[in-house]
Formats: sequence, structure tokens, C-alpha cells
Amino acid sequence: MMAAASSSDSDSGKAESNDASSKWLDAHYDPMANIHTFSACLALADLHGDGEYKLVVGDLGPGGQQSRLKVFKGLRVLTESPLPALPAAAATFLIDQHEPRTPALAFASGPCVYVYKNLRPYFKFSLPQLPTNTLEQDLWNQAKEDQIDPLTLKEMLEGIREKADVPLSVQSLRFLQLERSEMEAFVNQHKSKAIRRQTVITTMTTLKKNLADEDAVSCLVLGTENKELLVLDPEAFTILAKMSLPSIPVFLEVSGQFDVEFRLAAACRNGNVYILRRDSKCPKYCIELSAQPVGLVRVNKVLVVGSTQDSLHGFTYKGKKLWTVQMPAAILTMNLLEQSSRGLQAVMAGLANGEVRIYRDKALLDIIRTPDAVTSLCFGRYGREDNTLIITTRGGGLIIKILKRTAVFVEGGGEVGPPPAQATKLSVPRKTRLYVDQTLREREAGTAMHRTFQTDLYLLRLRTARTYVQALESSLNPVSVTAREPLKLHAVVQGLGPTFKLTLHLQNTSTARPVLGLLVCFLYNEALYALPRAFFKVPLLVPGLSYPLETFVESLSDKGISDIIKVLVLREGQSAPLLSAHINMPVSEGLAAA
Amino acid sequence: MGLLDRLSRLLGLKKKEVHVLCLGLDNSGKTTIINKLKPSNAQSQDIVPTIGFSIEKFKSSSLSFTVFDMSGQGRYRNLWEHYYKDGQAIIFVIDSSDRLRMVVAKEELDTLLNHPDIKHRRIPILFFANKMDLRDAVTSVKVSQLLCLENIKDKPWHICASDAIKGEGLQEGVDWLQENTLQSDPGCEDMKR
Repeated sequence: MMAAASSSDSDSGKAESNDASSKWLDAHYDPMANIHTFSACLALADLHGDGEYKLVVGDLGPGGQQSRLKVFKGLRVLTESPLPALPAAAATFLIDQHEPRTPALAFASGPCVYVYKNLRPYFKFSLPQLPTNTLEQDLWNQAKEDQIDPLTLKEMLEGIREKADVPLSVQSLRFLQLERSEMEAFVNQHKSKAIRRQTVITTMTTLKKNLADEDAVSCLVLGTENKELLVLDPEAFTILAKMSLPSIPVFLEVSGQFDVEFRLAAACRNGNVYILRRDSKCPKYCIELSAQPVGLVRVNKVLVVGSTQDSLHGFTYKGKKLWTVQMPAAILTMNLLEQSSRGLQAVMAGLANGEVRIYRDKALLDIIRTPDAVTSLCFGRYGREDNTLIITTRGGGLIIKILKRTAVFVEGGGEVGPPPAQATKLSVPRKTRLYVDQTLREREAGTAMHRTFQTDLYLLRLRTARTYVQALESSLNPVSVTAREPLKLHAVVQGLGPTFKLTLHLQNTSTARPVLGLLVCFLYNEALYALPRAFFKVPLLVPGLSYPLETFVESLSDKGISDIIKVLVLREGQSAPLLSAHINMPVSEGLAAA
Repeated sequence: MGLLDRLSRLLGLKKKEVHVLCLGLDNSGKTTIINKLKPSNAQSQDIVPTIGFSIEKFKSSSLSFTVFDMSGQGRYRNLWEHYYKDGQAIIFVIDSSDRLRMVVAKEELDTLLNHPDIKHRRIPILFFANKMDLRDAVTSVKVSQLLCLENIKDKPWHICASDAIKGEGLQEGVDWLQENTLQSDPGCEDMKR
């Protein structure tokens, strides 16, 4: 364990940048920033078209309650406004070709996408409603005309829930949860409303429409709880394409352009990654992971998936596994690091131990240590600086780091040579003169030693057997050996005196046979101790349970004398005890002794 | 030409020429400051981001400055060091309202000071804590603290708060620069030699 820890430290030591030669400048650290979010809800964009990039945060609020939209400019909050529901994802994208090219901001929350332009609400897109069950519809129609009472309605809805392939609406599901007394009121209140079934957006990303340029128009790609992927038109917000998945998507990664050719990778809750092409309505390839995905990032042509087993896996777009890297701690978040000036694309992984590790394929490029566990990461242009890394921590802190202009990422992980555990000396004890003399003696008088030892061993065996038989005859042992009566007994004394609490723990150790008709009897010196009940019956002993049977022992002697109390467990009608225990009573420290 | 030069200098008509490097991050106000120091009829009206660098001239009471107005954008910053040899003084401009990139400015200043062409020369450095008019600007004292200017021991330096659009604080800086350029190295000799 120790060796493993130290070896992982040493391999990180090469790539890690210490203070003097660090690749990063510490621009800002605010532990009290109170930002609770994850990587999907962070976005960097030039919202006002003035060349100054702002940071957009969909903040979940400290307890996941008051979700807010926060926009940071430089080191301070520019605007803050409440969001109608918890945000699932944030994205910035250009929706039209008009000048100035100010990107729109999209927040997915619940069944809606809220689009902001110039930080003002601009458009609200709602997911189309899903088809409802006709049987369910009929039932509610009957309830509306009072042809059906709430109890039958409930029974019939339950029948639909069991069998039907179209799930029930939220309204029916809530009705099924109610107590009988609340049903009547609920039906009266809701029967006139039409039943609706809506789904929820789980993830969102953007896809370039027909140009690969940085300032090209993009489409929104939405993943829904209904196992569907939707591609939206950037201007009209109509659905351009609809794809279905076998499971619920949680992470999306796209490449290409919508009108030409694109590839969509969706990591789902069932632990699979599905890959879709332009014309496919269903997944073309499937990557099965051994654990749930925690992040999905595309680096050049490789899909990097982080799993809950603390590892990063690289896959091709055809689902072939390329490599696996093990992390020292759980991965909390992942994102892409793209340094366009040097053409570098790498994946960043925020770990539970407060590290941010940067990998290009399998090679570890850098480690950033932060004071708290990292929950979200974002790399890009912020303010006027191209290579800025934004980190938020679990405690709500905000860390901004700027990559130095001169920094070059090199693969420093080439650790060669033996592991450090080999350098530690084995603790072999030293031999003294005494040992050497002893071996000399053994060499000279070996025969005598052997004979004497064998004789002693015979005697030892004899004495052990004698004592054992004696104990069996008088049933002195606290664990019964006979197969017929498997029992176990131990006694505990508590207290300082003069009154002690004596607890016997009696247990039936058989597999499936209860023991009936046992008695317990205490033998003690009546001049020294007083027991209220020195003889009592034991309840039926169920196999496996430990029965605590307690009595109170009062010390009578005022001279501080202690004695032995014997406990005998007997069977009714037999005089030989089954088990016994001897309890050495402690010296009474109470008033009687003083 | 040589005769004419000497004659005019004798008569006090031609001023001594000094080469100055104007450095700083992009959007800090270098070109605006240089523009404001020029005579009012030579000032240009709109300032655009400098590409590469430009050479400007302006005069103070006793010196004629030739300024290399460098671009501060990340991709042009590696041009700076090619002009270090020619510089007899440095103007370093800082955007006081850009608290985020103060570390970047410090990093660039440190690389400048540790460059072999600069390290052993006693050239004066004038800092402008520019954009003092903005609401979230920090004071010049705070700027000098953030850039650790007190660690510069072997060069004369001075920091001025300035507002380059109105021209406030610029004259004070140029006066200091003139005084120190005259006394520090009349012939621009390296300290080592």
C-alpha cells in the first residue's frame, strides 16, 4: 500500500510543475466565490462582441435550490439573474449571420431551452409533447363525466402501468401515489385538464451547421430523458433531426457539420457509448464500458471516456479501444484543453483528491494541484487571454489560471528504472555470538537433545489428555463439544461494587435446531455474595441468537475479599452440567468494602 | 549632413535622440499614450490594435524620443526581444483595470528584466498604471505591489498613474524619463563594459 502510494507520487513528480517552472500563472483564487456547478454548465463567450470574453455559469445554488445565471467579467460578477429551474447544460452559439457576431447563450433546464441574447431572454424552446396512452386518456375522460369513481380509476390505471408500452403521464403517476382520502379532491381538481406527457433535457451541445469556422452558425443538439437526440435549427428552433438511443444520454460529443457529415457520440446511463452518423436514426456503433461514464471528451479523432472505476479509456470512432490510463482518485469532471497556437488538444480530468491531470493520449502532460476537489473545468479564451483555465471546487471556490506564453507541454512521464520499493533494505535480523555458540552446542550434543525433547513431548501429550478428560467429566468448558447440544456460554461482570451486574451470554450454535428446557445455576460462597436468583430457567434458544441473561450480584464482605462464582448450565432431569464457567469476581470498591 | 548636424546641435536646435521601447500587454493603452505625447496636430484620431510594431517620434523639452510601439498581443510578444538592444529606455504600460491579467503582465516584465540584453544594463523603466479613469482600476501603489516592482534594484524606475485618453499623468512620466535618460547613460554603454 505504501509502496503503491509512493510510486504514484514519483511518477507524477516528473510531469508536475513546481512553483518556479510551473506552466501556469495563478491569476485568481477565491474560495468564497460560492459557485456550485459542473463542467456542462460553464461556458466562455464574447457575449457583447467587444473582444472581452465572459464566463457564463449556470449555478445550481449552495444546496441545489436557488439556481442562478451568473456572468463573470474579469474577476467580478457582471450580472446575476435567477433561472426558472436547475440548469442541465449551458452552451453558447451563433444563431445568425448578422453583425456584430454576438453569440447567443442557451440554458437547458427541465423540458425547455432558454436562449439569451445580449444577456436578455430571447427565446424559449419547449420540447414537443410525447404521445399519451389512449386507454389512459379514455379513463380520464370518463372521470371527467363522473362515470367512474376514484377507486376504479386507480385500479385501471395500475393495470395500464403494468402492461402498456406507452408509460403513464405525470398526472396519473401522481394520482397513483395518493392516499384514499386525497383521491376525490385530486380527481375533481385535475379531471378537466388534458393529460400531457413531457420529457426532460439531460444534456446539450452544439454542432456547426455548414461551416467549420469558429464564427459559423451552430445547431443545438439535445439529449432527452426519453432516450432521444434532437438537433435544432439555429434560427427557427424547429427540429431538424431526431435520433433514438437504447438508453438515456448523459454526455454528448459531436464533430463535423450538420449539413455535410457529423458524428455524434452519446454516453448513456447504462454504461454504453453510442455513436451515430448523419443518416443513421439508430446507433451505428456501441462501446460497452465496464462502469458508468463520468465524462466524454473528443480529442482529435479519439473519444476519451472517464469511468467510475477511476480510469480514462481512449476509443476510436468505430468503437475500438486504444488505451486505458488509471487515475489515482475518482474522476469528478472532464473537459477539453485546446491550445490553438500550438495545435495541442488534451483532456483534463478533475480528480477527487484536488488534482487536475492533463493527458495527451496516454501521456501525462501536467498536474495542477488545487486546495479542494475539482467539480468543473473549462479552458479557453477569458477576458483577453487566450489560454485560461477556469476551475471551480466542491466548496464553491473559483480558481483562474493562465497558461504562460512560453509554456510547452512535454511528456515528462518517462519513468524508467526499478520501482522505489526495491531501494529499501530488507530488515533481516543480525546474529550474535550467542547464536553461533548455540549452533555449536547443537552440533555436538544433537542426539541427546532430540531424545530429551521427545520424552518431554510424550509427557506433555499425556498431561494434556488427562486434563482434557477431567474437564469433560466435570463439564468445566464454556463451549459444549457434543454434537447433540451445541451451546456457547460466556459471562461478563460490570460495575465497581458492591453491586455488580453479571451477564451471561448464551448462544445456540446449531444450524437449525432450537434447544429447550435448560436451567442455569450459580454456585457461590453465601457469606461473601448475595444473588436474588441463583437458579432459573433459560428461554427457548433459537439457533444463532445470543441471549443475554443478567443477574445482580451484591458483595457482602466489608474486607475487600473476592471469590469465584461458578455458573452451571444444566438440562432438566440431568444432574451433570452441560457447560460451566468460572467468574473471578473483582474486589468490591463500594461502601461495603470501605 | 554631419556638419549640419553638429551645427544645429551647437545652436541647440537639434535635440539629442533617444530610443525608447514601449511595451505592455494588448489593450493596455500603449499606442494611445504615444499618440497623446505627440504634438496635437500630429495626433491620430482613432487608434486600432497595433500589428507587429510601429515607430513613432515625439519630443520633450530637451530630448527627441523615437518610440518602438510594440504590439502586445500574445502572438507578437516574441518580437519584443529583437528590439531590446536598441532601447535606451523602456515604457511599460499596465491596464490597471484588468486585475485578471496582472499576473501575465508581471510574467512578461520578469522575462523582460531577465533577458540578457536588459539584465546588465542600467536603463530607466517608466511604468504607466493606465486607465485610471475606469471604475474598477486599482491604484498605482497597488499595481507596483502586484508587479513586485520593489524587487527591481539595479535600474531606475518610476510608476505613474495615467489616463491616456485625457492625457493625465503622462507629462510627469516623460519628465522623469528625460531626467533619468540623460544622467543614466549618455552614450548608451553597457554597465559591464
